Amino acid sequence: MSNSSISKSQASSASAIGFLRDYGAILGMIVVLGIFWYLKPAFLTAGNIENVFRQSAIVMIMALGLTIVMKMRGVDLSIAQTADAAGLIAAMLIIAGYPVWMAFAIPLLFGLVVGLVNAALMAYVGVPAIIGTLGMMFVIRSGELMATNGAEPQILFTLPRGVTRNFLWLGQRDFGPFAALIVLAIVVFLIVFIIMRYTRFARYAKAVGSNVRAAFLAGIDIRMTFGSGFVIAGVLAALAGVALVSRTGIAMPRGAEPFLLDAFAAAYLGTLASRQGEMSITGTLVGALFIGFLSNGLTLLGLGAPYRYALNGGFILLAMAIGALKRKT
Amino acid sequence: MTTTIEAARPDSRFAAPVLECRNIGKEFPGVVALSDVSLSIRPGEIHAFLGQNGAGKSTLVKVLTGVYEADRGEILVEGRPVQFRDPRDAEANGIAIVHQDQPLVAQLDVTRNVFLGREITRAGGVLDLTAMRAKTADALRKVGATFDADTLVAELSVAQRELAAIAAALVRKPHILILDEPTASLSDNEAELLFGIVRGLRDAGVTIIYISHYLDEVLDLVDRVTVLRDGKLVGTMDVGDTSRAGIVQMMVGRDIEQLYPKEAIPIGEPLLEVRGLVQGHMLRGVDLDVRRGEIFGIAGLMGAGRTELALSLIGALPRSAGTVTLGGRQSNPASPRAAKQQGFALIPEDRRHEGLVTDMTVRENLTLPELSRFSRVGIIRFRSERAAATSLVERLRIQPPNLNQLTRNLSGGNQQKIVIGRWLAGDAEVFLFDEPTTGVDVGSKVEIYKQMVELARRGAAVIFISSDFEEIAGMSDRIAVMHKGRINKLFQPGEATSETLLYWASGSGEGVNPDADTKVSLADDADSQMPSGTAVASAAEAAPPSVWARWGTIGGMVVVLALITILAPQFLSLNNIFDVLKQGSVLAFIALGLTVVLIAGGFDMSAGAVSQFTTNLAAGTMIAGMGSAAAIGLGALVGLLAGAINAALVLVFGMPAFVATLGAMFVAMGATLLYNGGQALTLSNQPGFFFIGQGYVGPVPFVFMLLLIATGVLHFVLKHTRLGLRMYAVGQNLVAAELRGIGRARYATASFMIGGLVLGLAGVVLASYAYGASALATGIDFLISALAAAFLGSTFNRAGELNVIGTVIAALFLASLSNGLILIGISSQALPGIQGLVLILSIALGVIHKRGIGQVLIF
Repeated sequence: MSNSSISKSQASSASAIGFLRDYGAILGMIVVLGIFWYLKPAFLTAGNIENVFRQSAIVMIMALGLTIVMKMRGVDLSIAQTADAAGLIAAMLIIAGYPVWMAFAIPLLFGLVVGLVNAALMAYVGVPAIIGTLGMMFVIRSGELMATNGAEPQILFTLPRGVTRNFLWLGQRDFGPFAALIVLAIVVFLIVFIIMRYTRFARYAKAVGSNVRAAFLAGIDIRMTFGSGFVIAGVLAALAGVALVSRTGIAMPRGAEPFLLDAFAAAYLGTLASRQGEMSITGTLVGALFIGFLSNGLTLLGLGAPYRYALNGGFILLAMAIGALKRKT
Repeated sequence: MTTTIEAARPDSRFAAPVLECRNIGKEFPGVVALSDVSLSIRPGEIHAFLGQNGAGKSTLVKVLTGVYEADRGEILVEGRPVQFRDPRDAEANGIAIVHQDQPLVAQLDVTRNVFLGREITRAGGVLDLTAMRAKTADALRKVGATFDADTLVAELSVAQRELAAIAAALVRKPHILILDEPTASLSDNEAELLFGIVRGLRDAGVTIIYISHYLDEVLDLVDRVTVLRDGKLVGTMDVGDTSRAGIVQMMVGRDIEQLYPKEAIPIGEPLLEVRGLVQGHMLRGVDLDVRRGEIFGIAGLMGAGRTELALSLIGALPRSAGTVTLGGRQSNPASPRAAKQQGFALIPEDRRHEGLVTDMTVRENLTLPELSRFSRVGIIRFRSERAAATSLVERLRIQPPNLNQLTRNLSGGNQQKIVIGRWLAGDAEVFLFDEPTTGVDVGSKVEIYKQMVELARRGAAVIFISSDFEEIAGMSDRIAVMHKGRINKLFQPGEATSETLLYWASGSGEGVNPDADTKVSLADDADSQMPSGTAVASAAEAAPPSVWARWGTIGGMVVVLALITILAPQFLSLNNIFDVLKQGSVLAFIALGLTVVLIAGGFDMSAGAVSQFTTNLAAGTMIAGMGSAAAIGLGALVGLLAGAINAALVLVFGMPAFVATLGAMFVAMGATLLYNGGQALTLSNQPGFFFIGQGYVGPVPFVFMLLLIATGVLHFVLKHTRLGLRMYAVGQNLVAAELRGIGRARYATASFMIGGLVLGLAGVVLASYAYGASALATGIDFLISALAAAFLGSTFNRAGELNVIGTVIAALFLASLSNGLILIGISSQALPGIQGLVLILSIALGVIHKRGIGQVLIF
């Protein structure tokens, strides 16, 4: 927008611009969804919306961990692979006949271990997070490939119902009147929201993210704080991975990898919900929902993965460009 | 350099001024840095700018060298009015500067540093290294340097860097040479050598402007002095017409009588004892005793070691030697956190960057260090936190009294009160105030002084560090004066005046250590234990790897290959070797493109995806029957375009490189899938095209020869042209590059586009090698292999810098590793993991000694 156009009718256009700056992105999201609705009225039926919520739940759980890490100026590229491996472990445990609680607990333990290793590398050794987590992603991938003898899918839905019913309950059945997966997402969201609003960790994380030197000199344990982010991200990613397998009934090695893109897109789109263009927990929720509706809408229109990739990438760039403009004005 | 100066020295006082400032004014938001400064410099003199910290010397120098543009007034060089828009304009007018902290690019050699921004080139921007080396050697000889022009700057000591910086100024053939605090980090002997050099230059006809805090050396060295105070000119005079006391009087001035709320407080038992504290070359043995209830002043000029003393007391800098006891117990905190628990509180010198978290509110900042007092099982009790913050705001009279205001928007005085207030809720016993009143309004100053008195009354020991000698004389009980890392005078209460303090701080008296400082430490041992985070780019940029890291990786690679050979002897058969070279070449091409982008400080997540996209385009072009030339041309074009888009996103929109290229990566992946419709594009019967990736010339794979040619070309461009030199400089030390007038935009764009071109062509090679394009989205797999190769390759280099030859060797090593593992019978499925480990290890070796955390500063 050029300066001359502002000066013509300063007061009214300035406030209009201000309104657009603050809410334009949200309006834009609604418009996009409106277009889908217009093209495919089935888009906004209750059944489809619930379906989208289930899909978004998994993205959101993963993206929340990523958001925490990125608020501290870290990044975790290993989350999708962690989710993938966690789901795989869960499926293999069920197939091997282990009890259901182990199929939940051991993958989460795995996520914890991945998070701890990441924390050690990034926060204590000082490996830049892009490099360290990218390396971790490939280490996990190798492990998966070797464990599944070259990416053989671990199929649960062909097993007898009795074996899998309890495990698949999380992803496919209801908890009271609501889908259990949606309840899980809400619970996770609330926990993370509370952690990032009411705890000392959140305050320290904010300090580490905005001025690590000042945080260090103020006597904050910056390594512990920075590392904790990776631990949380690892555990949440593992939870998302288990939930995914529970929903689909099949663990495809490398099947969860596209969620990395979705998680990034959700976190970056979430910056549009904040005035300063910062990442936030609620913003990530909004972003994850939008990503869920977007990919669902594209599927309904018969547009597949290529459009999803391109649009998600485009939305990341758009969100960042808008953020840059917000900060300039 | 000297032939152009005709003015002979004896006549200089009657000659026309070589440089003249008329009514220069410069303001920064809220600060008048210079007001109405007029002065003239005579040809062939040594002219000193003197003044206390904040007097405006540095601003004036920056105006004179084109770093800042003056708001008012004019500059005349030899009578001609001039306009300096950037440092190169000033150089063109014969003004060169040696900056205070020698901003040099550590990973480049002395020759390249000396000529950076003013390279001697032959046709096509090719560096004339022979000529540059000869002139550098010449300049180094002139300044009496004993090191070679080919030495890496990273291997030089601080004093040697100073000489290199002076040599860099000399090759610009200046008529006027500005030296900004040249002796700040030199020992006395080294300083003496430097004075000889400066006098020699003067005798050769160069006019010299010399900025220093150290009055003694100035009086011995210079012809005239100009004194500045509070941004105003106090006066200019011949050094013979003045005395040390007179200059001190002018520097200190008679400010409006400040009321210091000092109160007599009974002094208690000794609390803090410091014995023989040494920290790198900045602290050279400090002894202190501070008692309860005492305000202990430490007076010293910038670079005297005051801040290092404070930081090494609280564990933020590693101590080299010495003991500290606090209340009778040994105190050697490993971190500020441990120091906090022992009872230390630091109010740091740079409140905006080290004190406040400016993105947090008043309340959040006030309770930051003592937050555990306001929380239970990790949950913050907001009510008690708010109550504590409210009472602090009232007690310190913070304006406006709004707890939820971001501290970024507060005035300096209020910000400083918050930094102090943070520690008042706790029970710290030793308070270190490091320059608490710079940039603070008078009202807030008094408030800060009152808090110091209040703390002393509570029985705390207050250490008050300042270079405002009037306040330190007015507020302190005993006062120690620091000079060059030592305490050279201790005043008893009431003895000191601002004049005597400045006298001692600027290096007079018997306290100056007579014995020579023979120990010259390397610059990096003074590095703070915890600098800010580490960007990806700077991970590779950092100090050179230890010899161990460098030879360790090479040794490790040899061992690995030897093991493979023992287990699978066919590994070393000629056929297999050429096979490996063929396999490795494709990966190496992608790694080359990525390396070029990384060199200029960028990052490219889209590297693999772009290559995969052009692979598909090339395959599609061949299927459409348009021929190899079209495939190659299209690949190159798309690669260039991708690079240009990435550059535009980063530079125009100011997006962090990571996000911009992440978005571009996904767009490229989507475009690839759209183009191939999720199907593999398989080629057959294209012998001409297949020759690129699969052909042999004699026994040698053609693709390997292509790789060697590409590597050779890129190596030449990066190491032997002006473009390459500046790309490295921008990537490794942007500040130094900008001071030489080299902007980031042009060279970052060049690196993105050259990198993109290589990546685009790499995709075409891949299409030929793989007989088409696969349907899988393998972009990110390529990315990690390429990153692993680039960073592993950087460890071979003596400077630890990214370089194309290292990248190619590392890529070929990774390929032989995968080949060897398969020969041994280890599953190829382990390979990505091994690459991941190699990537982590090669980086970890480089960063572990820096003790940072792996924050990503590129978004």
